[in-house]
Amino acid sequence: MTSTSQPIAHWDPMEQFAADPRSVRDPHPELARRRREQPVAPRAAWGAAGEVQGYELYRFEDCAAVLRDNETFSSESIRAGMSAVMGPYPLVGMDEPEHRRLRSLVAQAFRHKTLAHFEDDLVVPVVDEMVDEFADRGNAELVRELTYRYPVQVIAVILGLPRDDYEQFHHWASAIISVAARPMEAIRSSSELKQYLVGVLDDRRSHPRDDLVSDLVAADLDGERLGDEEIFSFLRLLLPAGAETTYRATGNLLFGLLNDPVQLDAVRTDRSLLTQAVEEAIRWEPPLLITSRVAVHDAEIAGTEIPAGAQVIPNIGSANRDETRWDHAEEFDLQREAKPVISFGVGPHMCLGMHLARMEMRAAVNRLVDRCPNLRLDPAADDAHIHGETFRSPTQLPVLFDVAA
Amino acid sequence: MVLRIEIDATRCMGSGNCSFWAPGTFDLDDDGLAFVKDLAGDPEDKIILSGQGCPTQAIAIWRDDERIV
Ligand code: HEM
Ligand code: SF4
Repeated sequence: MTSTSQPIAHWDPMEQFAADPRSVRDPHPELARRRREQPVAPRAAWGAAGEVQGYELYRFEDCAAVLRDNETFSSESIRAGMSAVMGPYPLVGMDEPEHRRLRSLVAQAFRHKTLAHFEDDLVVPVVDEMVDEFADRGNAELVRELTYRYPVQVIAVILGLPRDDYEQFHHWASAIISVAARPMEAIRSSSELKQYLVGVLDDRRSHPRDDLVSDLVAADLDGERLGDEEIFSFLRLLLPAGAETTYRATGNLLFGLLNDPVQLDAVRTDRSLLTQAVEEAIRWEPPLLITSRVAVHDAEIAGTEIPAGAQVIPNIGSANRDETRWDHAEEFDLQREAKPVISFGVGPHMCLGMHLARMEMRAAVNRLVDRCPNLRLDPAADDAHIHGETFRSPTQLPVLFDVAA
Repeated sequence: MVLRIEIDATRCMGSGNCSFWAPGTFDLDDDGLAFVKDLAGDPEDKIILSGQGCPTQAIAIWRDDERIV
């Protein structure tokens, strides 16, 4: 270990909301207004070379069209923003043909095992262990005690890290995720994590095992292999891309269900509804609201001229509530007709971890409902709500439940 | 009425979105690209949902002579 561990209990997930300077409690009414009145809105944006002209998009069709058209709209600006923390090859910020090569190679490792095996052997045990800590108490605060913690641990397990290192790994993860609040600490943690991963990679190279790092080392596409720096960038990207998103999304799903006991009961009695519940939760309150692209040449979006070099910012949270696509779009309704959402993006960069994320969310709710009978929001809950503008998730989820005799 | 489904292998990026929504109909091959394993492996609405949800619009679906996705 290269740095001192602090107990997990010291983390304050709420710190990340302070990192969202535009943080507001409920951006949706304003987003709805913009969909109607200003669907392509000029705004300031920050590129590699400082402030640039930006345009935020609010309607579903416009957001989806930009994310699909990766020839006109490049992801390079994401790479520029991320490199200090992720290293030179963050998949999400790369363009073709580099992106496709890297994605095909890492996707091999993700496909290697079936998710069914992941679920029972890796994810459920992680959730269960965390539920064990409060199952006999009859109450819990699910953000701090479960949702914030389990996706990081799932990644540690998938990477095949030794148990003794989990706490340190959580610590690095937490610091990296909080990059906007404390950039220097994030950069330091990221370089410590990289040093640690150098050791893990060396070990798996000589002693391959059944884990993601070994799979990445072995990935081979017609003789193409992953370079070490590509592996380190990819592994570090998994923290913001895979852990932060999933933690927030699970919170939003639980918030939607806990605030509507009828829908929670429906899920309790028919678990097959969970697939829809997950889809509806990420439509209603996606954990990550915006991403960004840069126009490589002059373009036009819904009648607005977009000059080359301008940043284009699809607002996924707004797109998912587009009233021309969904009825009563503001409501969390798991019976609604299924339609593709863009919470996982769309186009060539569509989320690589979406199947894992969906499964993790299902598994967490399944195990909570199984193990915490009569699970309900604590009526004394002090203003629990979903918060944020760039990222959204509940500030807290205090629950009560019956304790099995 | 069985649908006609075509997958453009040059556009497919192996997201597995189709095989998630319609696992009886779509699968991924060893190169991670989608193929149709059974034209009627799932209810029609699920197959259509898969086609609409394809991130790279690699899936085309026809009912009779009408292109529906
Ligand atoms: C509910 C949880 C999640 C949400 C809402 C989410 C959302 C997204 C979105 C919107 C993108 C596209 C960004 C863009 O096009 O600019 C993306 C890409 C990505 N996600 Fe996720 N994600 C989630 C979970 C995960 C998990 C669990 C993993 C992996 C363990 C993961 C790994 C990635 C990677 C590697 C990319 C980059 C793919 C590429 O550029 O080709 N995500 N995600
Ligand atoms: S949804 Fe489209 S891109 Fe994804 S695997 Fe199926 S055909 Fe390929």
